[in-house]
Formats: sequence, structure tokens, C-alpha cells
Amino acid sequence: MIAPSPMLLQADSIAVRFGGLKAVDSVSFALRRGEIVGLIGPNGAGKTTIFNSLVGLQRLSGGRVVLEGETISGMKPHRIAARGMTKTFQNAALFPEMTVIENVTTAALLRHDLAHARRLAAAMLEKFELTPFAQADVADLTLPLKALVEMARALATGPKVLLLDEVMAALTHSEMDEVMGVIRTLRDEGLTFLVVEHHMRAIMALCDRLLVVNFGRLIAQGTPSEVANDPVVVEAYLGSGAVHAGASHARS
Amino acid sequence: MRPAITPAFVLFVLFVVAASLLPLGFDPRGHVLRVAAMALLFAATAQAWNIVGGLANRISLGHAGFFGIGAYSSTLLYLRLGVSPWIGLLAGAALAAIAAALLSLPTVRLQGHYFALATLAFAQVLQVIANSWPGLTGGPLGLSIPFAGSQPLKFSFRTVSSYYWIILALLVVSCAVFHLLATGAIGYRLRAVRENEQAAEAAGVDTARVKLIASVVSAALTAACGTVFAQFTYYFDPDSIFSLPGISVRMAMIVIVGGLGTLGGPIVGALFLIPLEEASNAVLSSKAAGLSQFAFATILMAAILIQPRGMMALWPKRWSAGAKLTVERTSR
Amino acid sequence: MTQALIDGILLGGVYAVIALGLSLVYGVVGIVNFAHGAFLMLGMYVSWFAWRHLGLDPLAGSVLSFGAVFVLGYLVQRALINRVLAAPPAAQIFLTVGLLIAMENGALLLFGSDFRSVSVPYQLQGYQIGGIFLSAPYLYAFISAIALGGVLELYLARSWTGRAIRAVAQDPMAATLAGVDIRRTYARAFGLGVALTAFGGGIILPYITVSPTIGGQYVVLMFTAVVLGGLGSVRGALVGGLAVGIIQSLSALLFSIQLENLCLFVIFITVLSLRPQGIVKGM
Repeated sequence: MIAPSPMLLQADSIAVRFGGLKAVDSVSFALRRGEIVGLIGPNGAGKTTIFNSLVGLQRLSGGRVVLEGETISGMKPHRIAARGMTKTFQNAALFPEMTVIENVTTAALLRHDLAHARRLAAAMLEKFELTPFAQADVADLTLPLKALVEMARALATGPKVLLLDEVMAALTHSEMDEVMGVIRTLRDEGLTFLVVEHHMRAIMALCDRLLVVNFGRLIAQGTPSEVANDPVVVEAYLGSGAVHAGASHARS
Repeated sequence: MRPAITPAFVLFVLFVVAASLLPLGFDPRGHVLRVAAMALLFAATAQAWNIVGGLANRISLGHAGFFGIGAYSSTLLYLRLGVSPWIGLLAGAALAAIAAALLSLPTVRLQGHYFALATLAFAQVLQVIANSWPGLTGGPLGLSIPFAGSQPLKFSFRTVSSYYWIILALLVVSCAVFHLLATGAIGYRLRAVRENEQAAEAAGVDTARVKLIASVVSAALTAACGTVFAQFTYYFDPDSIFSLPGISVRMAMIVIVGGLGTLGGPIVGALFLIPLEEASNAVLSSKAAGLSQFAFATILMAAILIQPRGMMALWPKRWSAGAKLTVERTSR
Repeated sequence: MTQALIDGILLGGVYAVIALGLSLVYGVVGIVNFAHGAFLMLGMYVSWFAWRHLGLDPLAGSVLSFGAVFVLGYLVQRALINRVLAAPPAAQIFLTVGLLIAMENGALLLFGSDFRSVSVPYQLQGYQIGGIFLSAPYLYAFISAIALGGVLELYLARSWTGRAIRAVAQDPMAATLAGVDIRRTYARAFGLGVALTAFGGGIILPYITVSPTIGGQYVVLMFTAVVLGGLGSVRGALVGGLAVGIIQSLSALLFSIQLENLCLFVIFITVLSLRPQGIVKGM
């Protein structure tokens, strides 16, 4: 490819301050269409805050976010979702008293009328093999199932960019492989991903590129192998006592 | 595709048919019919409250404000300008809708206690204004609607049964509106907002707009009930029509006792509470002013202390009309 | 205009002590007490009866109100409110609303619906300073209110209970770990809160008549003062109370009474909407 694909999502020096604390400090990055980019860093590095500020759940103290050339920072989450970006919640924030299919239908209502939305929701559940659970109350589900419903719900909004916040945290290895397969398929169908994960195996296998944050700052970016060999990154992980030593594995 | 025939629907139809036959069995000027009419009127009002309090789960303590707007609008238009209360009903509903829309702006982010407080203040302020503006509202003396015999176009009838049937029609409309909201796309959105507002936003639900719609529809319907109330009772004053315990809390209690968020809840609750209240009034009010209300308040508190999770905890989920039943039949 | 300002300040001092009570309950126990106005009414009645049967000036009678209502408030918290602290908001709302209705009608049953007022020697007197007339009842009420506010500030800062109350208001968890009996503290805070408001009721008896539903007229006022001044702080309540007093006084000058109330309501709802975080208790 001679000319680069247009940037789908751009974060320009975004910052989030809580009182005196800089949770996100002048972070800039861009996503190209069809990329799967990983956002990694030790716990508390600011990853979820970055996600929240991208989708409008957290107000920016500085900088801006641009989606397909349009500045979306400052918009309410539902308008950003309408423009094609949404996220999954770390604790699968679903609607507890509604059934699985109702949860997904609600999200599908963003772009479809009720009849269509119901059909889309059913199709989404099939994709994730959740059909047997369609009528179950979300509150009754196990964590891994909730994570899948959460993904289905996010997908039902018809996004162009999907932010995944540790969806694989509660999954077994084979479940993880399935989800990774789904992500790759979706990417082939045109979706772009920004993924936060602690499972290094998944990150290394799935991502084209990594962004490494620590203390709210972007400390490194590059391909997985580049990042794994970056001493700054290793320092950040080992220095902060993070558990996953995937970086050293990738090196050897 | 929304199936029309569910068990709940059949039950509802049976109820309406049975209710409409009631006046034929009783002396149309009698007390029983009057109580029944009142019960159905409050059921309709409660159903309107149910949209905000049940579907959206935002406890409003100020719906009396909309009720009063309806009553005053139609009555003032009729007394001062000779406008038919039927038109006045529409005017009152429109005015209430506007008030609700305006009120929505500052209250959109409020929840729980704060929302209740804001709505309470709304009704109180209207009460004070009505009391202190004799030129417009007749002040504390209230407004009287002169008896005009049988003039259907002026919303005036000779027999109680005529009012009864109108009220029944109002109840059907109220329930229909509730049902449409509960089972439509907006029903999903309202429930989502009720259960997890942040997730709803992220899922693309315009939470502010959804709350606004619920609020406006509820207000308009409540105002319509206020107009009918005024025509039926021929007299009201600021303290009774904007009353916190008499109107706002009453409609909320009816829904909560009957089943918050359900279609049948307001009907069951009203048919239970209103006759009970009448009976206790008859017995206790003659003894002392305020005894009946005191007794009611005490029972209310006792009920909450015994079961803080509320009657909702006792109400089987199976009875929830709305999206749930419909979904079971149309998945795929 | 300055007269109105002064009047507003004098009234505001009293509103401050009333608001302080509400602020304390909200800030510590974490619920909106819809029945708070009824405790004001109760305080007024106690003072009135003290005046009628014991010949006590309302300012002294207010102290009696304080004591009596404190005890009642303590019991109410322990018997009723403590039970719904973990329940859904609807339960809490309707419990205090039920309490409100019960208290108003209870008063109706016990005292009848007649308006009652006191007559004290200084009722129509006042002090002329420059061009301003300082009404005696307003002035004495103001002084009493400020005095009590000062005593309370000291109490909260110095006494063990006072510190416990502040600790619980900030962080109930931490307070428990530090050995504070939460339930007892809630009861004390609630008792104190309603007692303060009752005191406020007693001292305004020289210029306000009491009836079972008088509390309702102060609801919007009280809550506006609290949201304006922020929660739980004596200073905040003072600022809020004074602000409301001045606003009320000035708007009476400029507007008709209907608009005055509307004005207050608009302020209330605007402040409420702009500071939802300031009101949501971080539990």
C-alpha cells in the first residue's frame, strides 16, 4: 500500500484531570480502518478512563477526539454511538431485569425499528451461540456469558469502531479462541477495534499494533514484538509489579 | 409483529365489559356508582403516573401539579370564556405537556430523592400561586362549576352513569397509552434507562429524550384526568387539587400497591384502595377531622416497615404486561 | 430597598438554622426528610403551649421545643428510618412522606385547625437605626438563631458525638471501623436536625401563626437554602439561609407574591439541577 488508509479515529492530546490528578495526560493516537489495536498498561494506568473519554462517558479536560473527520469530543454517548463508536463495560453493565434478547434488542433500536431490531438481536445471539439463553434474565447469567452478551449488545449498535474493555477476563482458553475468531471475522467485515486486555496471549495474537500507557501517558507504541522488546515497557510492567509476564515470553 | 391476544389482554377486555355493565345494576344516582366512578378515575390517573413512576421508575411526588393544571385550564376556559370543557381538556393537556417539557430540562439528571423533591416543589409552587391569585384562579375559595343539566357538548350530564362511562373510556385510553409505551421501542428504552442509565447511553439510547417523552405523555394524560375530575365533582380548590397526600401520594400509592410498572396494577390498586378509603372516611371522619388520613398514613408507614422492598417484591413477575410477554411469543 | 435587605438578613438567619437542621439530616443520614416541615410545625406548637400554659416567652419556649423534638426525632430515626436505610429510594421517600401526613393530621387531631398565635410585649416594637426599622421579633429571632448556630458549630467541632457525626457524614465505613456506633449516631444526628428546625419554628412564633400545615410553606424555602449552601456545613446553611431570606425579601419588593414564589422555585430547581453531584451522597 503506497498511500495510507484514512484515519478512522484520532485522539489529539486528550487529557482528563480529576482535581489535581492527571488520569490521562496528553495522549495522542490514531486508528486506521480495519486495525485491531491493543491498549495495554499496568492496572490504574488510565485505560478505562481513556475508553470512557472516547465514547463520551467522561468529559475531557483537554484535547479532542475525531471520528471520521468529525470532532466528537463533548457529545453525549448515544450520539457517539450513533456515529459508530461504542464500548463494552468492564463489569458487563447490562440491564439486569431484562432478558438477554431484550438487552441486545435495546441496543439494536439505535438504527432499526422494533421488528428489525428483534431480528437483528436474534441473529446476534446466534453469532455468539447465545440463542439458548435468549429468554434468560441477565442477572442469572455467569460472568463469561455476561461478557458475551455484552459484546453482542455492543455489536448490535452497528459500530464502526468497537472498544473492548477486558471482554476476555472471565473466559476459558477455548472461549477466548472463539471470541478472537469472532473479532477477526468482524475485522474482515470492516470493523475496527481498540482492545484493552491483560491476557498477553490474546494481545500478541490478535493485535496489529499496541499502545502502551502508564500513569496516564502513552509510553510506547508499535507492533507487538517491537513493544515487547521495548525496555521502557518492560520497566513499566515489572517495575509496577504487574502479574502478566507475557512481555518476557514474547522476547524469548 | 405485536400479537394482540395475550392472556392479559383478554382479562382486560373482560374487565372493561364487566365494568361498563355496572351502572345497569345499580341506581344511577347511588353512592356505589359514584365510588366506582371515582375509583376508575383514580385508576386512570394512576396509570398516567405509572408511565413515569413505573416504566421509567422516577418517583414523582408532584403529579398533582399536572392534575391541577388540567382542572384549572378547562374550568377557567369554561367559566370565563364559555369554551366547552372538551376543548378545555385538550388545552389543559397541552399546557401540562409544556410544563412537563420545561420541567424536564433541569430535572433530567436528577434521580430518586432529588427528582421527588423537585417534583414536590413544582406542585407546591402551583398550589401557592393558585391560592394567592384570586383574580385568576378564585384563590383559596376555589372554583365551582354550575350544574347545567344535560348538555353533552358542554361536558355536563344529568346522571352519574354518564360520567361513569366517560371515566371508563378515559381509563381505557390511559391503559392503551401505557401499553403502547410499554411494548414499543420506547418501552425498551425506558426500561434500559431505569435499569442502568450509563449502559443505556452507551447502547445508543437518547436517555434525555426518552425521559422527556415519558414525562410529557404522563403529564398530558394526568391533566386530562384532572379535567374530568373537575367536571365530575363540580368543585375544587388549590389545596385539594394540588394536594400532596390527596392526589400525588394517592396516585403513587395506587400504583405501588397494585404493582409498579404493570398494566393491571393501577386498576387493581384503585379498586382496592379507593373503596377502602371511602369506607374508612365514612367511619372515621365523623369522629374527627384528619383521623382517616392519619390512619392511612400510619398504615402506609407500617406497610413499608414490614416489607421495605415494597409490594413489588410480592408481585409475581409473570404478571408483568409489556415487552416480556410479547417477546416470548415473537422471538424469531 | 435597604430595609428589605435588612429584613431579609434577619429572616435569613432564622432560615439558616432551619436549613441547618435539614442539612444535618441529609448530610449525615443520607435521606431527604420529606417530613422535615412537620417538625418545624411541632416546634411551633410546643413553644405555643409553653407560652399559653407556662407563660414562657417563645424564645425560651423554643429551647423546650428543641429538647422535646430532639427526643421525638431520635425515636423516629431509631424506630422508623433506620429500618429503611438499605431499602430502595421509593421506600424511603414514602416512609417520610407517610410520616409527614401522619404528623400533619396528628396535629390536626390534637390541636384542631385553628390558627394560633402568641402575643408578646415586643411584638410591634423595634429599633430605629438611621432610616432602617429593625423589627424586634425579627431581631430577637435572628440573634437566637445565630446563637444556636454558634453553639452547634462548637458542638460539632469539640464534642465526641459531634465529631462522630462529622465522621459518619464523610465516610460511614471509616467511621464504623473507628468504632463509631452508626445507628446511634444517625439517631442523634436526626434528632439534632429536627430539633434545630423545631427551635427555628419556636423563635418565629411572635410573627408567624401556627396551624397543622404551616410546615408545608417552608418546604421549598428550606430545601432551597440547603441546596444553595451545600450540605452538612454550618457555614453553608448560614449562607444558604441568608441568601434565601434576602431573595425572598427583595423579590417581595419587586414582584407580586405569586412571582416571588415562582422566583424561589426557579432558583431552587436551577441550583438543584446544576449540582446533582453535590447532593448525591457518596455511600
